[in-house]
Amino acid sequence: MKHTEQVYLTPMPVRIWHWLNAFGIVTLCVTALQIRFPDYVNIFGTYKAAIRLHNTAGVVVSISYVLWLTYYMFVARTMLKLYVPTFEDIKSGLFRQAFFYFFYYFKGGPNPHHSTPDSKFNPLQKASYLVIMFVLLPLVIFSGFILMYVAPLREIFIVIGGIKTLVSTHYLIACCFCAFLFVHIYLATLGHTPFAHFKPMWNGWEEEEVEDGQGAIPGAEPVPVTEPHGVARNSGTTETA
Amino acid sequence: MKTDVCRVILCLAVLMLPAAAASAAGADNDACLACHGNRDVARNGGERLYLDASKFASTTHALIGCTSCHDSVTAAHPKDGSRPTKARCKECHAPIQAEYAKSLHGAKATCNDCHNPHEVKPGIAASGDYLNSKCAKCHDKGKTIKSHSKWLTQADLHLDSLPCVTCHTGSKSYVITMAIENKTPGDPHGDFKTATYGELGALQPINGDLTRLVDKNGDGFISLTELREFNHEARNKGMRLWGMMTPETVTHTYQINEKCWDCSFCHASGPQAMQTSYVAFPDKNGNVTRVAVEKGAILDILYGTPDFYMLGTTRSSTLNIVGALIIVGGMMMPVGHGTLRFLTRKNRKEH
Repeated sequence: MKHTEQVYLTPMPVRIWHWLNAFGIVTLCVTALQIRFPDYVNIFGTYKAAIRLHNTAGVVVSISYVLWLTYYMFVARTMLKLYVPTFEDIKSGLFRQAFFYFFYYFKGGPNPHHSTPDSKFNPLQKASYLVIMFVLLPLVIFSGFILMYVAPLREIFIVIGGIKTLVSTHYLIACCFCAFLFVHIYLATLGHTPFAHFKPMWNGWEEEEVEDGQGAIPGAEPVPVTEPHGVARNSGTTETA
Repeated sequence: MKTDVCRVILCLAVLMLPAAAASAAGADNDACLACHGNRDVARNGGERLYLDASKFASTTHALIGCTSCHDSVTAAHPKDGSRPTKARCKECHAPIQAEYAKSLHGAKATCNDCHNPHEVKPGIAASGDYLNSKCAKCHDKGKTIKSHSKWLTQADLHLDSLPCVTCHTGSKSYVITMAIENKTPGDPHGDFKTATYGELGALQPINGDLTRLVDKNGDGFISLTELREFNHEARNKGMRLWGMMTPETVTHTYQINEKCWDCSFCHASGPQAMQTSYVAFPDKNGNVTRVAVEKGAILDILYGTPDFYMLGTTRSSTLNIVGALIIVGGMMMPVGHGTLRFLTRKNRKEH
């Protein structure tokens, strides 16, 4: 038998950051389409409107990044624990999780990772979020900021290798974020119900299915098994950040 | 002694009226420049009496000669006690003067405030910086940036990159005039500057004709293929093509071209505004020779030019493809995994 437990997985500052970030990045992707291909795409009426909205969304994403960084570094102090893969994660966790997504999931096998407040992310998530949050996002924010002030920061362009190097970097990273959006949203539907992983990003509480014989998830509150949660499914994964 | 020589020469010069042939005008000019092209004249009579002979030689005014404008100069000059008269610009440039008088600038500045008749350059030989330096004599750069920032994104960048007259013009069409730029020999980290006649000559163009550096087949016309080839070679030689967008017709009305309010007038691939272009080559007299380029989206070709990037206008096709592949790769997850997920849904229900 199984029962579900409610785990408070996503504190409010993280949820605020996540949605600011999400709306910001979607806005950035759509406006970028018009900015790069103005002769084919006109969504926002004028080119200037697209640029101003793009710049504003960029500032929003930057601010939300600072919020995220401050929260995890100085308030929760769980950044290293949550985002840096352990030796065990690298040695076997990554492969085990990939094996689950690309093979075992289709056979109906259980997710090898269960989220707890101290271990929210599976090894694949840790690795991807680490690269995204500590390499790609700072790079895209940095390049975007400099591109907003080309004339006054001209000397920085020379040091970096020219405006085209910076523009190309900004563009390619943006494409990676756009690609990540599709993967991220899709993987979030792999919970025991398609919206199981969307809920905690709204109200903070994740519903985890646990075998009756297993110990309680740290920090979780047991709830009685009721329909529709009582329908046993072992396909739950955790894809929320 | 020198003054006497001048007097004799000027006597001869006055006899040769402005209608004389260009060669006669040249001799006439030499007589005047013997004194007025010498720095001593500035020390004795003030800076306004001195003119740079090399700059004057490249002007159209040099062709008609000094006495065409200063026609009251006598054989006894400068000891005749009278100051030679100066022709007024409108005597030759009446239509321009009439147009200018109606403009906002008409009551604020005279022709001479912007155009020094002894140094005036043909439009295609004037750099954007040179043109803007004339505007900056009255229009403070800081205030201009501030006023443009109210509507123009990165106003400082636009004002650095374009001549003011690109938007403040009555011309309805534009041309892009490209010049070959290089770095000062021995200073590979310095800024690019317009290559001189001597520097380009050292590249040994066919028949010593500089235009053949780009116009390989010598047909007096630069095809987009020739332009692309040159731009590719230039990178390896520390050179680049640099373009300036200016109105096709010179006007003195200074009204705002309404099309310029729309960013995509320029910021679009191969915009209609940027189909006509030329490459300007310096000649040994300090003038320029302009060779027409095949009509088309030349800015796309200039993507290969170091440090030239125009948002929405120059974009790399290769990067477009790489970017599209990255995004399609991301889409493969929901499409591929989702399909298998749907096909194997029974496996998960069994548990």
